[in-house]
Amino acid sequence: MASRTEIKPGETIPTVTKAITEKSILEFESTGILDRENIHNNPELAAKRLGTTYTLASGRMSIAFASESLRRFFGPDVFNHTGTVNLKFLRPVKAGDTITVTGAVSGTEETEEGTKVSVDLFCDNQDGNRTAVGTGTAVIR
Amino acid sequence: MADTKLKIFDYDKAEIGEELGSYEYTLTQEMVDAFRSSVEDPEAAFPTLGVKHDATAFAMVYDDPIGTVNAGNQVEFFNPPIVGKKISVTGRIADKYLRRDKPYIVIEATAIDEDGRLLEKLSTYQLKKPDELGKKWHPEQK
Repeated sequence: MASRTEIKPGETIPTVTKAITEKSILEFESTGILDRENIHNNPELAAKRLGTTYTLASGRMSIAFASESLRRFFGPDVFNHTGTVNLKFLRPVKAGDTITVTGAVSGTEETEEGTKVSVDLFCDNQDGNRTAVGTGTAVIR
Repeated sequence: MADTKLKIFDYDKAEIGEELGSYEYTLTQEMVDAFRSSVEDPEAAFPTLGVKHDATAFAMVYDDPIGTVNAGNQVEFFNPPIVGKKISVTGRIADKYLRRDKPYIVIEATAIDEDGRLLEKLSTYQLKKPDELGKKWHPEQK
């Protein structure tokens, strides 16, 4: 995909929607190099530590979803080398949820490296409840 | 990879700037495939997100019986990691604070590969009182 060289204020990023499953949560955890039980792969531990009846999807999965949207918007040559994602997690995400990432360009700033574009990011679940909010950036030349 | 005896994490004793574990691992195609499958993104370039560099660095040093809730992440991407390359990670405690009387720490990690390419910088805002999540979202289960 060609990288973007022009960005319009208010322009929306591609919507990304992901179904969260037990399999996807466990598969994400399996990427790690430590073979340890945690609140993402052990329901008993999640119940003990969090007081939930379910394991949580890692917040980093939402980081990955937002990164996909931003990469599709800016292009991989830009986003994979200058991109940032900053999310605050607002409510738990679990198996059975569907998470949708949306966002729009909030501003631009000229820097020595090029034009830094900021994007407001939102993650919402299938009930319309916000699960995360934040910003993403990338630098276009 | 670190092979030292773990310390029990004590929030009061944790210090801003404290070095966490430093470790190396080799990125495999299996890790990339698992990550891409989990997030349903065949072009995902940073399977390192699934490795959780900062949390892994923390876990290389501390046993944390209380646990944590991830309140937020901040990541900067510089270069996608390459399968078969060794990745070196260094971590530290970047901040520590109370917010609404709840204890937080910020852990961060920087990853470079064996060729010296900077890959990723990652920070996590950890709430070190994980039962707050259950109290807020599932008070009926108390």
